Amino acid sequence: MLGLVAVATLAANGARQLRYTAIAFLGVSLAAHLISGPESSLAQVALTATAALVSAAVLFIAARDGRFGEDPGWRLWVATVVAASTTAAAFTFLRTTTNEDVRITLLGDDPSGVTQQAAAFWLLSSGIAILLTARGAVRGSLGALLMLTGAQLLVELVPGPQLAFTLLLSWLQIVVALCGAFLILNERAVREA
Amino acid sequence: MIVPIVILGAAALVAFAIRKRLDVAGPFTVAALIVAMWYVISSPQETTEFLGLHLRLSPLGQLGSTILLASLALLVLTVWLDEPAYNFFPTALAAGAAVIAVLTLTTPIAIYAALLLALLIPVGTFTFQVTRNRSAEAAYRHYSFVALGGSLGIAALALAGSLPREQPPGTFVLLVVIIVVAFALKLAAIPFHTHAALLASEVPASALALYFGVLVPTTFIAFAEILTLSGLLPAIVSIAKVQDLLIGIGAVSALGGSFLATGSTELRRVAVYSVIANLGQALVGIATMSGPGIVGAIAITLVSGAGATQQLLAAGAIERRSGADRPSATVAPLASLAFVIGGFAMIGAPPLVAFPGHFFVELIAFSYSGTLGTALVISTLLVLVAQLRAAISIFRTAPERWRVERRPIAGVVGALVFLALVAGGVQPDGFLRPIAAFADEFIRALKPL
Repeated sequence: MLGLVAVATLAANGARQLRYTAIAFLGVSLAAHLISGPESSLAQVALTATAALVSAAVLFIAARDGRFGEDPGWRLWVATVVAASTTAAAFTFLRTTTNEDVRITLLGDDPSGVTQQAAAFWLLSSGIAILLTARGAVRGSLGALLMLTGAQLLVELVPGPQLAFTLLLSWLQIVVALCGAFLILNERAVREA
Repeated sequence: MIVPIVILGAAALVAFAIRKRLDVAGPFTVAALIVAMWYVISSPQETTEFLGLHLRLSPLGQLGSTILLASLALLVLTVWLDEPAYNFFPTALAAGAAVIAVLTLTTPIAIYAALLLALLIPVGTFTFQVTRNRSAEAAYRHYSFVALGGSLGIAALALAGSLPREQPPGTFVLLVVIIVVAFALKLAAIPFHTHAALLASEVPASALALYFGVLVPTTFIAFAEILTLSGLLPAIVSIAKVQDLLIGIGAVSALGGSFLATGSTELRRVAVYSVIANLGQALVGIATMSGPGIVGAIAITLVSGAGATQQLLAAGAIERRSGADRPSATVAPLASLAFVIGGFAMIGAPPLVAFPGHFFVELIAFSYSGTLGTALVISTLLVLVAQLRAAISIFRTAPERWRVERRPIAGVVGALVFLALVAGGVQPDGFLRPIAAFADEFIRALKPL
């Protein structure tokens, strides 16, 4: 699952067309939430999947045609290297230091939350790297959505009213996508003027 | 407390549907804000539950919601009557709903998520005539800063909530530093203010007033509430480095903001940098972790928000009427007067209610260290110089006969805000007591039983 998240993130990061970016983001989001799947209720899964679908659809529609997008160029490699090193650093500093029993499985349950935390750190690091190197709203929106997805994974590990958290963060994801699409349309209008 | 949030949220949807009929959308928005305000004022201070989240109408929540919703109502009135912008009405209502949610929720992650919604909603109002100015770029920068700071902050709060308590102190220091930097990004504290500088010169005055008059104070109160509710305060107190970081960011913002205000020639920038300088002072107040410091910080934040609303609306009215010429009081005397009296709130001059906040924070800063106290006094003096320069620049030329401008909405709004600040200054107890109740909670959270 972690590999799927990483590959989908690289695909979204490397896409030159916004529509491919949107589809790849949907892949990232669904793969990320599958990691926490067994722990989540049906309502939470439905909410996160709907939010991911709506966010991807908003970006897809904002592209208006199949060619529109932003070539990442060297930014792809910088973002990947920064994300990989930051993920390792974050995992070292912020992972629990107790001698708890850590079990990692290829598929299914993640009782110690290790895979989920690693995926969250990877998404946050990738999002930061993309957002900081973005030239405009196309990659900026992708960075913002990836960061938020990473933050959502961490929130799922917190004890508390998970359905309310999921509802709030799903709304937030849709608003981030809508604002991103609005900015993409404005940026395009400026470029074409 | 869910009722006013639902009222404003539903009203935002209705206002979005009717937004192009200004004569309907304007009064509808004002009415919805007044109903929500009445509900907040008349509700008992109790806790309700929604989907497992607790919403508590604390004294500070009641005071803050009332002041910020009143500011929103004044902004909507100005946009409706003086500066038509149809996107503003649903934005103001949705922002109002998010502001009440921020001030009443009791779970740090939920507060943070509601805050991010509030900060992202105005992106639509920031852009106008995008091919003639850089408003689209300014809106994008704001979006990036909010997304970056917001996601980092939520992640840090989630980690703080899920990690076992027996962590090395370094882990908590790192998390608190991330939260502080995340808020500094959203508060436009110096050196994280580049988006604010671009916003100040490129976006419509009403949208700028929404951001600096309503949302920035909400962000600051959210910061104080999250610190109180997250359980991180004892860790902050035990490690002096975090307190030093907060004081450092606050002092740099106070001095930097006031220097930038002094060097500005645009009225909007003077107002925006004055707010940043005041927020720096407020950050120092919070960082002292003392009762007077916290009371002063929240008071400064709320009053600076009201002052920013007053000054930015006035600056917008003067600029619109001056056209391509240098902004001058001759075209809008009442708006100019509103700008000048807004400066009194920014410098914390008595008898306005702005005075106690500045007095408390500067006093406690001197007790912390002489250098810190002096830095804050210098910051206030520089803001005073900046405001005087701005006043002199708009009143430089005088017509043969002063004539009140047509539709003096910004002037009337400025007068209303000034009267409210004077009333608060004459009777400060009603304003300071709810803030003091919050300061008590903050101090209790420093030393859990």
